[in-house]
Amino acid sequence: MKNDALQDWGLRLVVFAAVVGAWELFLSRSQNFLLPKFTEMVSGLFQLWFVDNRFWEALYISNQALLLGYAVSLAVAIPLGLAAGRLRWMDRLLNPYVGVLLAMPVAPLIPIVIIALGLGLSSRVFIVVLFAFVFITVNTRAGVRAVDPSLIEMAKSFGASEGQIWRRIVIPGAMPAIFAGMRIGLGRAITGMVMVELLLVASGLGRLLLEFSGRMQSDLVFATVIAVIIEALALLAAMRAIERRIARWAPDISVG
Amino acid sequence: MIRVRGLSKQFGGVDHGNGSVLALSEIDLEVRDNEFITVIGPSGCGKTTLLRIIAGLIPYDRGEITIDGKPVTGPGPDRAVVFQNFALMPWADVLANVTFGLEIRGTPKDESQAKAKELIKLVGLENFEKRLPKELSGGMQQRVGLARALAVNPKILLMDEPFGSLDEQTRRLLQEQLLRLWEHERKTVVFITHSMDEAVMLGDRVMLMTPRPGRVKEMIDVPLKRPRLRELEKSSAFLEVKEYLWENLRVMQVE
Amino acid sequence: MKQETAEQPVVKSTTAEKMRLPPALRRFLRNNALEVLALLGGAAIWEALGWGLGLQWLPPFSKVMEALAQFMHSGVILANVGTSLQALMIGFGLSLIMGLVVGALMGRYRYVEKALDVYVHALFVCPSIVFAPVFFAIFGLSDASRIAIIVVYAMFVIVINTATAIRTVDPSLVEMARAFGCREHQIFARILLPASLPLVFAGIRLGMGRAVKGMVNGEMLIAFVGLGALAQKYGAQFDAAKVFAIAMVVLIIGLFTNWLVQTFEHRLTSWVD
Repeated sequence: MKNDALQDWGLRLVVFAAVVGAWELFLSRSQNFLLPKFTEMVSGLFQLWFVDNRFWEALYISNQALLLGYAVSLAVAIPLGLAAGRLRWMDRLLNPYVGVLLAMPVAPLIPIVIIALGLGLSSRVFIVVLFAFVFITVNTRAGVRAVDPSLIEMAKSFGASEGQIWRRIVIPGAMPAIFAGMRIGLGRAITGMVMVELLLVASGLGRLLLEFSGRMQSDLVFATVIAVIIEALALLAAMRAIERRIARWAPDISVG
Repeated sequence: MIRVRGLSKQFGGVDHGNGSVLALSEIDLEVRDNEFITVIGPSGCGKTTLLRIIAGLIPYDRGEITIDGKPVTGPGPDRAVVFQNFALMPWADVLANVTFGLEIRGTPKDESQAKAKELIKLVGLENFEKRLPKELSGGMQQRVGLARALAVNPKILLMDEPFGSLDEQTRRLLQEQLLRLWEHERKTVVFITHSMDEAVMLGDRVMLMTPRPGRVKEMIDVPLKRPRLRELEKSSAFLEVKEYLWENLRVMQVE
Repeated sequence: MKQETAEQPVVKSTTAEKMRLPPALRRFLRNNALEVLALLGGAAIWEALGWGLGLQWLPPFSKVMEALAQFMHSGVILANVGTSLQALMIGFGLSLIMGLVVGALMGRYRYVEKALDVYVHALFVCPSIVFAPVFFAIFGLSDASRIAIIVVYAMFVIVINTATAIRTVDPSLVEMARAFGCREHQIFARILLPASLPLVFAGIRLGMGRAVKGMVNGEMLIAFVGLGALAQKYGAQFDAAKVFAIAMVVLIIGLFTNWLVQTFEHRLTSWVD
């Protein structure tokens, strides 16, 4: 099977090379002075990571909001999702609001949050929560609903209490979906983190982007974007690894 | 006539033994024209693989297989398949499903629809032409599959456990319907089944296969006269053949 | 066939009937009573809190409705909605075409799938908003950057769903088609295409939602036109009622476009079990 893996990566490398090649070609023809060459982007990355201190400071500032906001989202969304999954009336009550929150873009509300909470860490954390928690709730609920009802019936027939049913049947059964929700929520949280920084609260990575953009240092702009993408992918990969160790048995299901 | 000589088929792995499975080994078989053969054997004996090779859906590695002297290289108008899980297009109604094979072969629309309606009537689904598969029971869906196969007027009917996913009552009714249709026009049939009752009831001969690798253990004659009526199930000839099958199969199950 | 009963039960008249609403609406209200009450209850709480707390950022629900009505009457909202929707249509259209084509190729040909899957997945999971500065650098303040953002937001969920849809078509249907002599292009047109519609539409619906978000986010960040710009403007003026009203307009756009896609979807996939 090793041959297959090599072949796959070979294909991906070809695509990568083709894209870089096309980019360079496009650059040599166009008049746009703002666009960096591939090599400039790479040197920009190096400068960002190893030469300039500001990147790591910005990363720290941004991730404060991310971690706090994500933690709060989990603490709010997972119990809500579990309740909605198990209690029919609660589900129906929350349903219209969930629908609205799923469909509505959070970005227009950012100015309101700023009015309410100011320009500090708390508003950034709140925005991250707003971006992330609905998706976590929805997936958690779906996971609870998807637990095979005959398993619950089986547990009841052996005399299991409500708590036991939760601990031994519902939560393990809903784990894959909960993890899927956590993964999607993480992506959304990162979006919120970047979004609010770019829009209004000029701090952290968003501020760096605005700064580089304003000074026409597009190689650094691209490099920062790539750095954010790398962080997002790394965090998600870490999450997947944790997931694989805890919930090994299940197929891939997710909402949103 | 279907003629198979020394047929072998291997799955997976370019070289022997590296994760590959020998599904069929040295299969010899002759099916005469208008003969009804049932194939029975435990899981893994390669009966479905053999059927798909005859249908021209998968290639084989060694040996030869000819139909009326011509080697099998792919699907053809002389053969039609009936599938275990019906394989009906869920987005098309009964009429569209039955005309499918004819349409692919380029038959003009009115002709194929006329032929389809004829067969829909023959399998007893006359008022259901506009229905979707999801509105039909399992037995009705398989009757659509049967009508579709018969619509292309094949010489050979290849049936892969067609009644396997139906309940017992429906199965028995469809067996009787199939036998009636076959008496009407005796096509060559290769019929795979898990059920010994079915194998003996339907077949002129029963092909007994063994697993790992798939081989033909024996071709057993069924000395029951046609047309096959239900009462024959109580006859001593029927029970003898069935008992013989069971003795052989039981040993294979343990292995 | 359902059994016809000999007697019809006596139908008690309900509030909805007394109000002489059309039967479809009556049925909707009856089935979704709890949800409708939840929404009305929420609006009532919002109203109470708005008046009671007197916070700058939480105007009463009625004030938000007032702002909304004001928008409808003045030409402001229409012009901006038009600008926003234009970019949305072009951006979503491009996402649809490219998404379906790439997804179909990935679903059908393993080589394409293996070559592109890493990139598609990466672009799908990373926060699409980070590309805003990139597009700004490439296209400047033009419509093209807004459209590009919409495409980045919407395209990849369509690609992934389309690829999965084609890849997971029931193999026995494909085998059946080959058994009856179908050639490759016939299998694609007659089996793969119709069979993959349900999942493809799921992707299109998700893509639509994503496109609306991309539309607003792009406007707020880059081009400062359209609804996003309005939200920024009123936010800077601390006019919370107007900002909420704009959020509602965007929400309505989102719900409407979703309904549009769903209607298409239901007509084309009514055969699903």
